[in-house]
Amino acid sequence: MMTLHNPNIPEDVRAVAADGTQLRYKLMELSNQYPDAIALGRGDPDLATPPHIIEAAKQAVRDGKTGPTPVYGLPELREAVAAKLRAENGLSVDAGNVIITTGGQEGLFLIMQAILDPGDEVLVPDPRYTSYDEAIASAGGKIVLVPTDHADAFNLRPEAVEAAITPRTKALLIISPSNPTGGIVTEDRARAIADIAIRHNLIVISDEIYEKFLYDNWQHFSIGSLPGMAERTITLNGFSKTYAMTGFRVGYIAAPANLIHALAKIKAVTTGAAATVSQWAALAAQTGSQAPIQDFHRIYDERRRLMMTGLREMGFDFSDPRGAFFLWTNSGSTGIHATELAYLLLRDAHVLIFPGTGFGENWGNYLRISVLQSSDLLHEAIERMKPLIMRYRSR
Amino acid sequence: MTNAPQQLSRPLASRVTLLPDVQETRLPDAPPTSEAVMQAAFDALDKGKTHYTDRPGILPLREKAVAHIGETYGVEMGADEVTITCGATEARFVTLKQLVKPGMKILCAGSGEPIAGAAALVGATLTHNTDDADIALAYLTPNDPADQVQTVLNAVEARENVWIVWDMGVQNPQSSLHPAQNPALAARTITIGSASDKLPGWRIGWLAGSKVANKLRAYKQSMTICTSSISQWAALGLTLGSETESQ
Repeated sequence: MMTLHNPNIPEDVRAVAADGTQLRYKLMELSNQYPDAIALGRGDPDLATPPHIIEAAKQAVRDGKTGPTPVYGLPELREAVAAKLRAENGLSVDAGNVIITTGGQEGLFLIMQAILDPGDEVLVPDPRYTSYDEAIASAGGKIVLVPTDHADAFNLRPEAVEAAITPRTKALLIISPSNPTGGIVTEDRARAIADIAIRHNLIVISDEIYEKFLYDNWQHFSIGSLPGMAERTITLNGFSKTYAMTGFRVGYIAAPANLIHALAKIKAVTTGAAATVSQWAALAAQTGSQAPIQDFHRIYDERRRLMMTGLREMGFDFSDPRGAFFLWTNSGSTGIHATELAYLLLRDAHVLIFPGTGFGENWGNYLRISVLQSSDLLHEAIERMKPLIMRYRSR
Repeated sequence: MTNAPQQLSRPLASRVTLLPDVQETRLPDAPPTSEAVMQAAFDALDKGKTHYTDRPGILPLREKAVAHIGETYGVEMGADEVTITCGATEARFVTLKQLVKPGMKILCAGSGEPIAGAAALVGATLTHNTDDADIALAYLTPNDPADQVQTVLNAVEARENVWIVWDMGVQNPQSSLHPAQNPALAARTITIGSASDKLPGWRIGWLAGSKVANKLRAYKQSMTICTSSISQWAALGLTLGSETESQ
């Protein structure tokens, strides 16, 4: 296995290689120098925001609905989100259990600030979106990794969760479907994990941002719907991925009311209310036609099948991708460290892919490949990568 | 009604008790949106600019902020030193969180009210005593008494480990002074601005300048990724400072 000291990797990439978030941003920055680059990195849906959401944003401006909302969020949107969570996710919540955030990432930050004192530990499945690390560290908390593995489709194993618990463990983070693996926490596992959480009095933070994108008849399951979980579950979700509206920056948290008040206190002095026009757009997303989600789902499913076929032809192995927009691809057979491989594919094929090391230090044998480009561009990316992968393998 | 949960099963973080309660009630309406801002927002929506922007914020808005700072104070900086934030609130918190360690002090020429909550959250205290030890940052606004501002600047000029914040995001800024007009202070002066006086609810602010501009940008990104794309494009329709509002 080659190392990060390989001269193929430029100094400015090597300098940030140990920081998953900065590594991802560095590669995105490098890709800007290639006008024909095909971006299979960032998790930003390429599809257009549905027209009724765009129109709602315009109407809010026309109607002068642009003044600041309460820090908690637009009351109508809090009501709509609570209704959705009751109907679709089986949660016992009302509007007082909901706060609107400036995207899901801010939600994570607020949650950690509100629940963690210095030294408190949070269990996080590995691999993971490394912004979790930053949010936990920012509150003085300590991340404790819970291993997941390829053979288990990166499902979370209850015994691995229990083995990681210490007297300082305060919370468990569940991400289903997962970024980066596309794995899900199946209902049977969620039930077993809920039992553990109750037994050890853990808070469960359930990140469900990709809940609408499961494939092959897999079903989303919200752990907060289980008996005994309402008072210990913080559900995090948002509009960015579901409705292809990442730029609006609207997410939400559902939790016990005292935590919602705490989150509002923190939000008031850190970012203030979410942008008002964005919230009206989100309200239209939540209460309007949900048909676009079905269209998005069909398109993403077609694309992931196209990419899976291409990856198999390149000799790659990947985990069973049950959800989200990503193929978590084992690139170990190339003999090239993932950070170097991602750099080479960008330099030589002008295809931007994130290395597994962008999602944790243990993942130098993996690539995260998103399918957020048209089928034509995905096909083009595959054709560019194939000969290079063959060449890399033979060197 | 539901059996909605009221209390989390575990205690909240102790820092929460340091912060004041927040009202849930609806706030007053905003002034009418100008035609130029409306058009800029509609153009962005029509062109599909509804996805993440670059991490620093869109370049033309950063250039606009730079021009505004230059016009108002005669202080020059590059657009690459600017990060667009979710209002001045985020700019203030990001700055304090990154530059002030718990237990340190923030020297204020005025009340320091705009940063009081953020200071509490990061575990810092406000002071008006220029002789205090453990001062990490001086917080100044264009509305602070001019003599007090000068006293603070004199006190920190030789203390090279003290950062300086010039917060022009306050309402109706009055002074034409800017700490970075002194070249010796420019590298450690962070300018905070906001469009909230003309665009309340759109949540547009910025952080500008200093040798820690990239560090502050990275932390902002870790909190909120980027500022609302539509708000950023809409703010391009806004005129800042003494310019006449275009209609």
